Amino acid sequence: MENLTDEILMLKVANGNLDLLKILFDRHHKHVFNFIYKMCSDRMLSEDITQEVFYKLMKYRTSYNNGKFVSWLFTIARNSLNTHFRRVSTHDEDLDTVAYKLEDESAEKKDYSDLHHAINKLETSDRELVILNRFHEIKYEDLAEIVGSTPGAVKTKVSRALNKLRTIYFQNSY
Amino acid sequence: MDNNHISELLPAYLDKALDNEQQHVVEQHLESCSICTATLAALRKLNLAFENESEISPSTQLRANFFEQIALEKENNSKVVNLDSVTKRSKHNWINNMLKIAASIVLLVGVYFFGRQQESQRSDNQIAILNTEKAAFKQAAMLSLMENKSASRRIQGVNYMQEFDQPDTAIVAALTDRMLYDENTNVRAAAVEVLANFTSSEQVKNTFIEALKVEKDPGIQIAIIQTLGRIQEKKAAKPMQKLLDQEETQPFVKEQIESVLTTII
Repeated sequence: MENLTDEILMLKVANGNLDLLKILFDRHHKHVFNFIYKMCSDRMLSEDITQEVFYKLMKYRTSYNNGKFVSWLFTIARNSLNTHFRRVSTHDEDLDTVAYKLEDESAEKKDYSDLHHAINKLETSDRELVILNRFHEIKYEDLAEIVGSTPGAVKTKVSRALNKLRTIYFQNSY
Repeated sequence: MDNNHISELLPAYLDKALDNEQQHVVEQHLESCSICTATLAALRKLNLAFENESEISPSTQLRANFFEQIALEKENNSKVVNLDSVTKRSKHNWINNMLKIAASIVLLVGVYFFGRQQESQRSDNQIAILNTEKAAFKQAAMLSLMENKSASRRIQGVNYMQEFDQPDTAIVAALTDRMLYDENTNVRAAAVEVLANFTSSEQVKNTFIEALKVEKDPGIQIAIIQTLGRIQEKKAAKPMQKLLDQEETQPFVKEQIESVLTTII
C-alpha cells in the first residue's frame, strides 16, 4: 500500500477504503499546510484550512475524476483558501480583534524569512503560482489545471511573477 | 523592450523549460547583455532562496483530528456498508440456498432410488422366501391329502401333483405309494396317470414295472402297460411276459400286452 501512487490510493479511497486517506494525508498534508501558510501567513488558520482540505477530500472522494491527485488536492486547497478570504473580506471585524491580530502578526513576522516577506508583497494570483511552482515543484501542466488556465499562459505568468518577486526580494535585502 | 522579452524567458531558461530556438536566442542575448546576465544571477539566487526556505510543520493535533474524522466517517459509512454487505450476503445466501435446495433434491432422489432398490431387492427376497414357503406348504398339504381317509381327497391330492414340473423324491415316493398300495382303485388309477408324466425318472420307471407285478385291476394294468409301451421300457418285457403266462389275467389285458410287447422288443 505504501508504494502505490497517489492516484491508485485515491481510487481505492473513492471505492470505500477510507483508511488509505491516512497514507495520502501523511504524504501531502505538510505541502498543503505550507502552501496555505505562505498564502495567509497565519499558522492557526493554515491548520484549520488544511484540515478542511482533507475533510473535503474524504467527503467528496467519489467525485475524484482519476486525474492527477496533486492537482486535485491543490485545487481543493486553493478553493478553500479563496472561500476563506471571501468570507473575511465581507465580514466586518471589530477594532479589538484587528488590533489583536496586528500585534499577533507582528510578533510572528519576526520568524518570517526574507523570501516570505517578499512573497507576501505579491498579488494573490502571482503568489499562489510562485508558491505552487517553486515550493511544491508543480509542473506547468498541473498548475494550469489547478488555476484553470493553459500551460503556456501559466508558464508566462510564472515567469513574470518570478521577475516581480526578484525585484521585490533584492530591493529589500540589498 | 527587447531586454524585457528576454528577462521573461530567464526563469524558464533556468528551469531548462525552453525550446531549442528560444534557448538559442537567450544564450546569444546573454553574451552581449550585462543587465540580463545580472538578472539571471539574481534569479539564481532567488531559486537558491526557495531551495533553502525551510518548511514548517503543523501541530500533531492536525493529524489526530483528521484521523478522528476518518474514524467518524467510517462509522457513519458503516451503516451504509452494512446494508451493502447485507444485500451482498443475501445475494450470496440466495445462491447458497439454491445450492442447498439442489443438493437436497439430489439427496432426496438418491435416497429414494436407493431405498427403492433396497426395497425391491428385499421384497424380491421376501417373495422368493414366500414362494418357497408356499411351495413347501402346498407340498405338505398335498402329501397330507394323499394320506387322507377319504378316497376322493386322496385323488384330489394325487391330481394336484401334476402341477409340479420337477417333483422331488417325497412327492414321487408318495405317488408311488398310492399307485402300489392304495386300497382304492380310482386313487391307484389317478396315481398311474400322474406318474405317467414323470417317466423320465428312473425311479418312476422301476415303480411302473413293480406295479405291473402287483396290480390286479385290469383297467390299471392296461394303463400301466400302455405307459411302459409308450416309453419303450425294455426291462418291462419280462414282467409282461409273466403276466401273459398267468391264467387269471384277463384276455383283453393279454391282448394289450401282446400288442405292446411287439413294439418293445
